[in-house]
Amino acid sequence: MWQWILLFAVVIGAAILWAISYYNKIKVLSNRIDEAWSQIDVQLKKRFDLVPNLVETVKGYASHEREIFESIAKARAGMVAGSPQDRMAASDMLTGALGRLFAVAEAYPDLKAAENFKLFQEQLEGIENKIAYARQYYNSSVLNFNNLITTIPGVWFAGGRKPHDFLEIPEESRETPKVEF
Amino acid sequence: MERRSFHEEIARNRRSSILLASTLTVVILALAVTLSYLFAPEALFYILPLTLVFMAIYSYSSYMYGDQVVLSATGATPAEGRDYVYLNDTVEGLSLAAGIPKPKVYVIESDEINAFATGRDPEHASVTVTRGLMRALDRQELEGVVAHEISHIRNRDVTFMTLVAVLVGLAAILSHIILRTYRFRSYAGSRRGGRDKDRGGLGIAILAVGFILAIFAPILTRMVQFAVSRKREFLADASGAELTRYPDGLASALEKIKERNRGDMDVSEAVSHLFIADPNKSALDSLYATHPPIDERIKRLKAM
Repeated sequence: MWQWILLFAVVIGAAILWAISYYNKIKVLSNRIDEAWSQIDVQLKKRFDLVPNLVETVKGYASHEREIFESIAKARAGMVAGSPQDRMAASDMLTGALGRLFAVAEAYPDLKAAENFKLFQEQLEGIENKIAYARQYYNSSVLNFNNLITTIPGVWFAGGRKPHDFLEIPEESRETPKVEF
Repeated sequence: MERRSFHEEIARNRRSSILLASTLTVVILALAVTLSYLFAPEALFYILPLTLVFMAIYSYSSYMYGDQVVLSATGATPAEGRDYVYLNDTVEGLSLAAGIPKPKVYVIESDEINAFATGRDPEHASVTVTRGLMRALDRQELEGVVAHEISHIRNRDVTFMTLVAVLVGLAAILSHIILRTYRFRSYAGSRRGGRDKDRGGLGIAILAVGFILAIFAPILTRMVQFAVSRKREFLADASGAELTRYPDGLASALEKIKERNRGDMDVSEAVSHLFIADPNKSALDSLYATHPPIDERIKRLKAM
């Protein structure tokens, strides 16, 4: 008789350990997504702080490009609040607006030659690259998490957790921007 | 190649480190037993724990300070300032993509195209490139090489290979001492009339096993080390390409390394396995090569 009790206890114990290990796995992967987002956040903040300085510099040479400044300001404002997807979309909008700004700058030789304008341009380029890399890590973390909680046996332990959304790269930024002179 | 997430790779690496390290520990202990039998059979019970303590200290200190030793042995200096902005940005970007903290960046003054990563864990890691590499490679090729090194750090290859190199070295030293002693014994023994016979069957058996082990241990451990090291190179190529999403970058960097490197970097054998391409071109046979043939690596990258 007690052999059966022992066997039962062992089976129950193993099942509990199994459930704990899955619970932890899911927790670890979901923490990894948060961490990946915070890496993007750092870069977004850097960019947020850098843009006004750039705009000030450009205004000194090309104050009448009001439409571009406005779209930059609007995109920049959207970067601070909302879901990761919203903020990322604002950031992508900013990338587009900055692209136009740099294209416009081509028409102002003095601006193009200004030392701090070049420096801003380099820094922004660096940050944009880092955002792209950080987004890649975010998306692969999301993929790992989603795979775990939507496949068997992970789905049994997911406790109703929803798959996270990816940070999609917007359709329009996939193609090279057209610049008309 | 079977696809695995890099977290599984890290786990696998940890398992094989433990397996390899414990196998090597057993080999080293067996060698130590033989050695104590040769010199002082009565001290066996002191020698065993002493060997273990010695191994622990030796491994621990190379684990903790190995990267400093490697960096100073190769003459690497920190990459700071305006010239290295792009290099630093590339390293930072790719470590973001890999989800590790940014490693420190170093440069070696050499015209050869080469690079290596070191450090016991991602928090204490560094990436080193040569001046020649910065001059010869374009941005995508540089990205490819840096991604390869970042993958080594992320996959914990550096930790693993350092540990293995230390233990393999230790096994080689012990074997060497034993073989020398045997040579001396057989010479002295023929004159004194075989003192070893007094030790009985067990003693002779231990000495015989120890002798065989002493002959084969260095060869076998080296072969294992090199086989593992070559596999790690392929893996770092593949996961590096996963980071940049552009395998051709690394492939064309390897082409340049193949064409332009003369293989005359003055680097010790002990650290050469860390580099992306063998810094000393030697005519050793492929069994002993720490790096897979460069053509094979290019072929695999192009096929991705």
